[in-house]
Amino acid sequence: MHAVIINGSPRVSKHSNTERIIDSFAEGLALSGASYERYAISDKDNWDSAREAYIKNTEIIIALPLYVECVPGILLEFLETLPVKDETTRISFILQGGFAEAKQLECGKAFLDKLPGYLGVSYGGTLIKGDNFGIRVLKESEVQKIITPYRNMGKAFVDEDGFKPETVKKFAGPEIFSLPIRLMLQLMFMTLARKNYRDIAKGWGCKVPIDYRPWSA
Amino acid sequence: MVLLIDTTEEKKGKDIAFLLGKYGNRTVILDIPKEGNRLVDSFEMKYSEDVVEYVDTEHMNISHCFGCNFCWLKTPGKCVINDDYEPLLKRISRADQVWLVSDTRFGFVSYKTKNIMDRLMPIVTMNLHYVGDQMRHIARYDHNPDWGLIYTGEGDKDNLSLWCERVAVNFSTKSLGVFEFDKCGEAIGCMQ
Ligand SMILES: Cc1cc2nc3c(=O)[nH]c(=O)nc-3n(C[C@H](O)[C@H](O)[C@H](O)COP(=O)(O)O)c2cc1C
Repeated sequence: MHAVIINGSPRVSKHSNTERIIDSFAEGLALSGASYERYAISDKDNWDSAREAYIKNTEIIIALPLYVECVPGILLEFLETLPVKDETTRISFILQGGFAEAKQLECGKAFLDKLPGYLGVSYGGTLIKGDNFGIRVLKESEVQKIITPYRNMGKAFVDEDGFKPETVKKFAGPEIFSLPIRLMLQLMFMTLARKNYRDIAKGWGCKVPIDYRPWSA
Repeated sequence: MVLLIDTTEEKKGKDIAFLLGKYGNRTVILDIPKEGNRLVDSFEMKYSEDVVEYVDTEHMNISHCFGCNFCWLKTPGKCVINDDYEPLLKRISRADQVWLVSDTRFGFVSYKTKNIMDRLMPIVTMNLHYVGDQMRHIARYDHNPDWGLIYTGEGDKDNLSLWCERVAVNFSTKSLGVFEFDKCGEAIGCMQ
């Protein structure tokens, strides 16, 4: 298998969580004997080469962050520039988001399930996973805990020939959390998480509280 | 105040604005920035229940969101991209209802509409809480507009409705529903 992997995030690669996820996923592909080439669309100067690769190859994987409940605007714009191909090309997706529950990705997943039909190509499934916001801000050992599991998904993609529903479901984790966990998280959101966000903001040079209102609505 | 944001190529939203003025006895303000002109950033506008404001985005320079997160963690509430979006965002945050008038691609809204929605992040904060059974960001302001969508073309209505509902919950407000342009009489009836 030779896969073209396209990072559909608007964030520059150096800061993109998707990029780190692809690093790990691609290691898994290689462990199962596949080769790959990588592209990112955050810089529009790379769109022509990403499109060329999409046209020339038959195994395409687009990895993307959830943005306001669906695909980022920049990726929609890029998709509009792709020519219609036929079913010998297969497209698959890795959809990852910030919120932790699998249910948060339902709208984006429903969109991606139908997208191959519009592009005329066949579909290899969509891997979904939340709780990735921290990749950008956590220390490296914590980041490794988040991204390492994607390596197995890279292996599974080759070994199972696409993203299979059972594998996807298991990897996605719970649709929603149980009430006791939600209560515990709510408590954490009100205390520790707020402090962490304040600390990050301070580190980024923020001069006002993070709930500051620049205008009155 | 009802805000109509029109990203359609045929400027379908203008028809709705005219109808509202003619039969709804509403004051309609047309904001149609010409090429090179910016949407005037004014809070002097009448934010009253009687007013419908129509914004044609064709000549507005509205970038996609870069995902920098500065609007949460470095310059809270402010987007650092210097384009025509901020005056639009201020209007959005003051409106009672926002209606997106959008073309559809791949069954979903066009990238132009999605870019406008992706740039809404400054109106929520980084802080989280639970709304029902899912995590959400806490709104930055006390007032948040309800959202509706009127679309042209072959939209996947089920998914657009799900999207609108999820977006509304995300922004601590409610969805006004999703309507095909050719059958948007009902939507016009809800514009108040
Ligand atoms: C504008 C914007 C909108 C987002 N919307 C959502 C969302 O609706 N649901 C969610 O779970 N995460 C959302 N996120 C979080 C991202 O999906 C998450 O942080 C992701 O890991 C970012 O990947 P990237 O760094 O490759 O862009 C959003 C992030 C941004 C910047």
